[in-house]
Amino acid sequence: MTSTRLALLGARAGASRFWNEYTETMPREELDALHLKRLRALVEYAYELSPFYRGKFDAASLKPRDIRTIEDFKRRVPLTDKSEFVGLQEAAPPYGPTLALPPEFVVHHCETSGTTGVPLSIPYSMSDTVRYGESWVYGFWALGIRPSDSFYFAFSWGNFAGFWSAYWGARRLGCRVLSGGGLDTKGHIQAILRMRPTVLISTPTFALRMAAVAAEMGIDLSQSSIKYTYHAGEPGPTALPAMRAQLEQAWGAKAGELLGIAEVDAMAPGCPEGDGVHVNEMNVFSWSMDPESGAEAGEGKIGENIVTSYANTAQPLLNYRTHDLVLRRPSCPCGRTWSKLEGAVLGRTDFMLTVRGTNVYQSAVENLVAETPGVGSAYELVLTREGDNDVMTIRFEPSPEHAADPASWDGIGQQLSDRIHAALHVHLRVRPAAPNSLPRYELKTKRMIDQRPKEFRRALDR
Amino acid sequence: MERRQQIARIREARALITAAIAECRSPQIETILKSADAELHWALWNLGEPVPLRPELEYGEAVPEGRTRAR
Repeated sequence: MTSTRLALLGARAGASRFWNEYTETMPREELDALHLKRLRALVEYAYELSPFYRGKFDAASLKPRDIRTIEDFKRRVPLTDKSEFVGLQEAAPPYGPTLALPPEFVVHHCETSGTTGVPLSIPYSMSDTVRYGESWVYGFWALGIRPSDSFYFAFSWGNFAGFWSAYWGARRLGCRVLSGGGLDTKGHIQAILRMRPTVLISTPTFALRMAAVAAEMGIDLSQSSIKYTYHAGEPGPTALPAMRAQLEQAWGAKAGELLGIAEVDAMAPGCPEGDGVHVNEMNVFSWSMDPESGAEAGEGKIGENIVTSYANTAQPLLNYRTHDLVLRRPSCPCGRTWSKLEGAVLGRTDFMLTVRGTNVYQSAVENLVAETPGVGSAYELVLTREGDNDVMTIRFEPSPEHAADPASWDGIGQQLSDRIHAALHVHLRVRPAAPNSLPRYELKTKRMIDQRPKEFRRALDR
Repeated sequence: MERRQQIARIREARALITAAIAECRSPQIETILKSADAELHWALWNLGEPVPLRPELEYGEAVPEGRTRAR
């Protein structure tokens, strides 16, 4: 009888630092040449198969053959926006004229959360799900996750694209998948202790919530089987270094993060340096636009991330406005040439406040909140309008060690206010809230509560 | 294996699979072969090859018979 050696990967591939070294370290000139070919093919595809894009191009007197350079693509292909898609889908549900494939090609349907508006419907073909999942794997591999690892998914299996695509990625990598669907927080903790997974997939705030509940149960999750936590759906350990420290301490694990946009792709897996994400340039072409002028934002300048997806062929997205503000870098010590977004998303074009001439970004405030001693993990940023000014008020719950000492709360708030003033040169209001009085979320935590009149805010809902 | 050689072998494999798809009478086998071809197409894409956006575009079945493309 012959013995058979079973291995998921051969020794050479298994030892690689990269999921795909050839493309992840491809020189910029070669990447751009490849992008141009793919962008031209995508323009042709969209024009041929999507009534939405045909109408849009015709209205702009644009033919696919007019796109000869990357500059042509950036400049001549009309910008698209989520609100456009939502409006068309509402008029002719579920996808309206945005679908580029016959409906029978759609094998999976997801939706955006629609917390403050109508959800966007997102169709995926079979190969779209493969491509979308692949994006996660670059980040998994870079963090150290291998096929021998096992994933615990601490979320309910609704229509949320983020974790479906993480599941597609875990399958692609060949890992064991353990579903926590339907369990409450305590149930997740008990399942982790029982099944001994090595990777936790959840939103970052829910990971912290689990650790806090476990502590109340007398369980220290830093002693659990989890070696890696990986996050998406809201600003996490890359955008908020203070949150990285909290996560890694609470779980005794390395924390990773991916920047995804449900309708686009799991587009930017985390850099192993821990300070940013790399755009997966096999799936996405992106550039930065100055949201005020519409011109391209130069290197080292903060701009709005404009993306084009090769991953979603069922509902193509060309020059799609993300309203995410990013700082793009062309190189990285990790060796990847894929465009690096420092700190992932720095803020939102629609949630950037200007206070006395100073731009205040959500992530900058959140970083300071998270690193102030005595401030707990539950907090919210409330936007209001007073006279001609936008005002931000930070409501925070005290950390557990201060929960029973209300006399200390104002002092903690003052310390936070001082830190914000020292770092951002603005005065923001800070108000303590009673322990457990602010809402908790299993999926996207809603940090920003916009109470400004509609005319003073953008309509975009993410 | 050198990259160009790897690409050439994958292209050969796709040609064989595409021919087998064209001759298929079993929905099961056709589905499996198309899945295999989609993976090979994806391998070429991730080797930096300028393949079409979807594999079906190379065998002309993105739009099933009897349907018209958007005009």
